[in-house]
Amino acid sequence: MIKSGDLRVFDPIFTTALITAEHGYAIYDTLFALDSKLTPQPQMVRKWSVSDDKKTYTFELRDGLGWHDGTPVTAADCVASIRRWGQVAPGGKLVLARAKDISKKDDKTFTIELKEPLGLLIDVLANLAYPFLFIMREKDASRPATEQVTANIGSGPFKFNEALAKPGASFTYDRNEKYVPRSELPDGFAGGKIVNVDRVIWENIANPQTAFAALRAGEVDFFEYPSADLYSAIESDPNLELQVLDKMGWVHWIRLNCLQKPFDNVKARQAMLHLIDQEAFSRIFSSNPKYTQNIISLFGNDTLYSNDENTGWYKKGGDPEKAKQLFKEANYSGEKVVILQPTNIVNYSNAVQFLAGALRKIGINAELAPSDWGGIVARRGNKGPVESGGWSIFISGVPDLTLSDPIGAPWLSADGDFFGWPKNDEYEALRAKWADTATVAERQALARKMQGLWWGFVGDVRLAQSVSPIARRKTLSGLIGMPGALPMWNMQKT
Amino acid sequence: MAAYILRRMISTIAVMAMVGIFIFLLLRLSPGDPAAIIAGDTATPQMIADIRKQLGLNDPLPVQFLHWALSILGGDFGTSIFTGRPVLLLISQRLEATISLSILTMIFSVVTGVAFGMLAAWRVGGLVDRALAAFAALGFSVPVFVVGYFLIYWLAISARWLPVQGYRSIDHGVGPWLVHLILPTVALSFPYIAYIARITRASMLEVLSEDYMRTAAAKGASSYSMLFHHALKNAGVPILTVIGISFAYLISGVVITETVFNIPGVGRLVVDAINNRDYPIIQGVLILASGLYVLINLAVDLAYTLIDPRIRY
Repeated sequence: MIKSGDLRVFDPIFTTALITAEHGYAIYDTLFALDSKLTPQPQMVRKWSVSDDKKTYTFELRDGLGWHDGTPVTAADCVASIRRWGQVAPGGKLVLARAKDISKKDDKTFTIELKEPLGLLIDVLANLAYPFLFIMREKDASRPATEQVTANIGSGPFKFNEALAKPGASFTYDRNEKYVPRSELPDGFAGGKIVNVDRVIWENIANPQTAFAALRAGEVDFFEYPSADLYSAIESDPNLELQVLDKMGWVHWIRLNCLQKPFDNVKARQAMLHLIDQEAFSRIFSSNPKYTQNIISLFGNDTLYSNDENTGWYKKGGDPEKAKQLFKEANYSGEKVVILQPTNIVNYSNAVQFLAGALRKIGINAELAPSDWGGIVARRGNKGPVESGGWSIFISGVPDLTLSDPIGAPWLSADGDFFGWPKNDEYEALRAKWADTATVAERQALARKMQGLWWGFVGDVRLAQSVSPIARRKTLSGLIGMPGALPMWNMQKT
Repeated sequence: MAAYILRRMISTIAVMAMVGIFIFLLLRLSPGDPAAIIAGDTATPQMIADIRKQLGLNDPLPVQFLHWALSILGGDFGTSIFTGRPVLLLISQRLEATISLSILTMIFSVVTGVAFGMLAAWRVGGLVDRALAAFAALGFSVPVFVVGYFLIYWLAISARWLPVQGYRSIDHGVGPWLVHLILPTVALSFPYIAYIARITRASMLEVLSEDYMRTAAAKGASSYSMLFHHALKNAGVPILTVIGISFAYLISGVVITETVFNIPGVGRLVVDAINNRDYPIIQGVLILASGLYVLINLAVDLAYTLIDPRIRY
């Protein structure tokens, strides 16, 4: 399998990197897992219950769970893992803040006792946003979350083959013969994790042309996210197939620096909403319209909470005149607008060049600041003015799925803490209520109110949503399509 | 001679120290934050700050330099910020592929380049000379990756004679090792063959016009004897210089070939490390590479004395 990234960090709690989450899904197991309808289902948990006052949750682990080193999984491992995850994951922090006690009752049972009810608890444990809650051995999970666990010993359906690990080149995963899958059929990340292959090798082939040649020659079976210029060649090969596994895809956006001119003025931020021509940006992310969509909801396109509240700003083709007028109302007087340009991410590099052109057309003094992504992630932390190395706009993206979790996804916050630093107390008060909602209907109502405010103060500006097909040889089948990560169980090779 | 070698070794230490300071400052003063890359694109600022603290990246630069320099002097090149594995282990895992590719490329380039150069000089102005001149022009002007893709399409995808990509350690047997290195070696050799052939031709032409060559011909020496015993040996010093320089460039220039043929070598290790701002790996590789460069130069200087007894140190 050719993965689209390089596995650089092995600890899925230590980082939010997608490929590390996929490594996590291979070697670790989870307490709960999302099924194909994004509903949490028990995974390591055999049964769970909640007390009448909704304050005490009791979880019992299923039989047959064991670590790759041969020792059994215990409730103590789960307690330690939740505590470590709670040090860094926003959802986990919420759990720890609300918990009066998290403790094991016996080897297979543990409880989470809350100070007050938390209707969202099971959803949070079921991993909507990175970093996901993977269960580790107690001795690994006892480390601070800022110290990387490199043991790579989990209880999941695959075992990490340390002897064959070649960082930067390839990683090997062997079937865990002792893994006991659930009896249900595989359904998303939930159900029985049945491994049908003896070994999976992740190859890191950085060059897409070489990766495609290797796929054609049958040296690899799977090529994650080939570049769009290869689609026609793949489709014309009778042995190959393009397939969209993650149907929710990614939402691409720009973050505006709300602390500095001109975007410290809400009118300038609103101008950006009107300026964006989403159809044009969609073509940058994929030349084929079937792989892109417009995106107007704060909560993504395909989540339970997608809605159309306060989306009157959207206009096909954008509205540069309106944007120009709003910049004028914001008293824009020629301040430099610095756009961070990630030169080693082609789509984003092209998108910001297009954006700079659109801004210049309406008289904005836009300037690109090219750098590789490594430089950008460092610079985006600078809250200062552009003259002091700060920035005005940076481009990024997140999985659509994460937009359904305003607790776990820091980019849906407006507490002045996430890059761009938007701040709105009224919105934050609504967001705080999210954790206490008990039903989907309650959350949907709340989502509409939150979105109404968000597009008013403009916490971010959406460019497009896109999905990316994977390429595979037709001899490889059974791949599970889920947003957020690619699981490796269930697939088979003929 | 011994005193000369000693002097050169001492100067090597000074060069390495300068390289070390330069590399350290260059990396620390260039934009980038490994903590932000480790934490992932969607990490919160707090996560990034915690990791920075844990990695010691908030320490003053002189303190960081002192830690690193003392470790290097103790033979410890540190551990990768990302994988947590020792830098020397990571380099050693990659060294075999890079050295294999470099040595095979050098052998192929020298044998082919010297042969082409001698042939062109022997038949100067003829068809062979012109054909080889055209080949040399191509070798200089066509980028390695173009040759690589052409070879992949022709010999790996169409003919299916050779693998597209990858590397097999020599531990798996000489056959698989060699089969995976044929295409990258040929692709990478092109410019070096051209370079060596041009220098050999020029050097040989100069020697072939010398009086002693005419004397040898008058005495009835065979073409073989004239070319190999008299001409090549006397034309050897500039050729050897070029080979030495080429080898040094080769070591640092295999990155593109390693990328095109997906060879997990040192070149890709350092490129990935630069993208990730994995300082210990970059520093380790560059220190070792600069040391190797200095040693190759020393070896070439010493080799002159074997070819030309008039050279003394």
